[in-house]
Amino acid sequence: MSPHSVPLLPYRPGPVAWLGIVAATCLILFLFEKILWLVVPFVMGLLIHYVLSPLKYRLLLAGVPHKTAAALVALGAFLALGGLLFLSVPRLSTELGSWPELTARYLDGGIRLLTDSVRQLEKRFSFLAHAHVSRELALQIADLTNSFAHKYLPAVAVTLAAWAPSLLLGPFIAFFMLRDGWRFKKFLGRSVANAYFERTLYLLDQVDRTARVYFVGLLQLTVFDTLCLALGLWVLGMSNPLLLGLLTAVLAWVPFIGSVMGCVVVVLVAATDFPGNPGMAYGAVLLFVVVRLLDDFVFMPLTIGKSLKMHPLLTVLMIFVGGAVAGVPGLMLVLPVLGVVMVLGESIGMIVTDARLRARHAHARTLREAAARRGL
Amino acid sequence: MASILKLSFGGKAPAAHHRLGKTFLFSGLTRRQLKIVDALLHDRHYLAGEVVFDLGEEGQALYILLSGRMAVLHPAQGELPLAELGSGDFFGEMALLDELPRSAQVRALEDSHVAVLFRGDFEKLMESHAELASRIAMQLARYLGNRLRQMLVQRPASGD
Repeated sequence: MSPHSVPLLPYRPGPVAWLGIVAATCLILFLFEKILWLVVPFVMGLLIHYVLSPLKYRLLLAGVPHKTAAALVALGAFLALGGLLFLSVPRLSTELGSWPELTARYLDGGIRLLTDSVRQLEKRFSFLAHAHVSRELALQIADLTNSFAHKYLPAVAVTLAAWAPSLLLGPFIAFFMLRDGWRFKKFLGRSVANAYFERTLYLLDQVDRTARVYFVGLLQLTVFDTLCLALGLWVLGMSNPLLLGLLTAVLAWVPFIGSVMGCVVVVLVAATDFPGNPGMAYGAVLLFVVVRLLDDFVFMPLTIGKSLKMHPLLTVLMIFVGGAVAGVPGLMLVLPVLGVVMVLGESIGMIVTDARLRARHAHARTLREAAARRGL
Repeated sequence: MASILKLSFGGKAPAAHHRLGKTFLFSGLTRRQLKIVDALLHDRHYLAGEVVFDLGEEGQALYILLSGRMAVLHPAQGELPLAELGSGDFFGEMALLDELPRSAQVRALEDSHVAVLFRGDFEKLMESHAELASRIAMQLARYLGNRLRQMLVQRPASGD
């Protein structure tokens, strides 16, 4: 038995492997949509875990044992969040009480901006005036807003109530990830045969790295977006610029739709805060477009772009596929899921096509069987 | 009795009593630091004749032999081992430094128990516990320096 090696050719996934990767991504998204009540708190737990794990490492470095460090960090985060909520309860309760009026006020502001803009257009283009576009628009919007609250608000309230217990799972999952996450990798490693062990460790590491870089990148992107939008809105003179910036940055987590919704929110606020000054709303739209461009060409490559080394066309196509398969959750989750499935697909392909690894595994199995028969 | 009490209540037990304590790579680490490293290690068992890794394979991990014996083999030497390793020795150390292929095959000569330090975990250790990781890296540099010196000494001798 002489030392032997099969020359290693770098594995590159072919068309069949890519089809498998795309199919697996779609299947996972489809299943995720069915168990969204578990996926959302899990992703939330993962995000909290990534944010808090540097603190846990600091405590470990100071000599605190794993379990104690996890408990201390979780307790600290819980107290900080609890304190923040406690301090903001009086303001929140006032704002929540008046939110139907606030919503109606901002909607009115937006509608006024829209009808004013259409009237301006009617003055310039006579065919629009002949068609009574502004009157028709006003009638349709009035019809929609009259039935909006009646139709949709109870459903929104029921959905929020149903999701609340599930969202409480997030911090719970984050705590156990902090406390026992390091054991999980060992646990998975133990279930793998010696021949495939190193490759499996590499695979697990790559999956963890991809998810971490994506989600941490997403958080960094949210911070950059919030700051840029808040600064721009503050310069424009709008109220609550930081809150508005944060809201629009979080909405942007949903590709395409989220950005449009964010822009609509900012325009509504601008139109309401500055009635009769449409320039402010146009300024807000311009600001939004500038921040989006900054996002796509500067922030995104610096944050999320690092995790997903995939062709832009594939990215866009997969976002559409994700939306078609699993709706809004599909839009939000398709890129991290695709990133992880790509790593899994490439690594499994590498293992399956390596004849030497399979031969070594067969040899080890023969040795184990011989050892088990010894003395019989 | 006093020492038993000291150990069971987590007192400062000598690092040498730890299972990693006699490995050159980890000498100089305190017991607490050894525990941090140990939490990252994966335990594996190999039967006599089983290949741990092959020549030419991309290295991802360092192996510490806790018990048993292993041989380092190279095709140029046939079945004659380049080196035999025993309890406390480590191998595959270059995998912590680069992604180059393994330069030899390692095979178990008898049933063996090893602890595996994965490169990704070592990199995380460098980020989270820089002092600890730098001590390990320093020991690794010393080990490689010694090996280089030995090779330089052996080369003129073999030329003769």
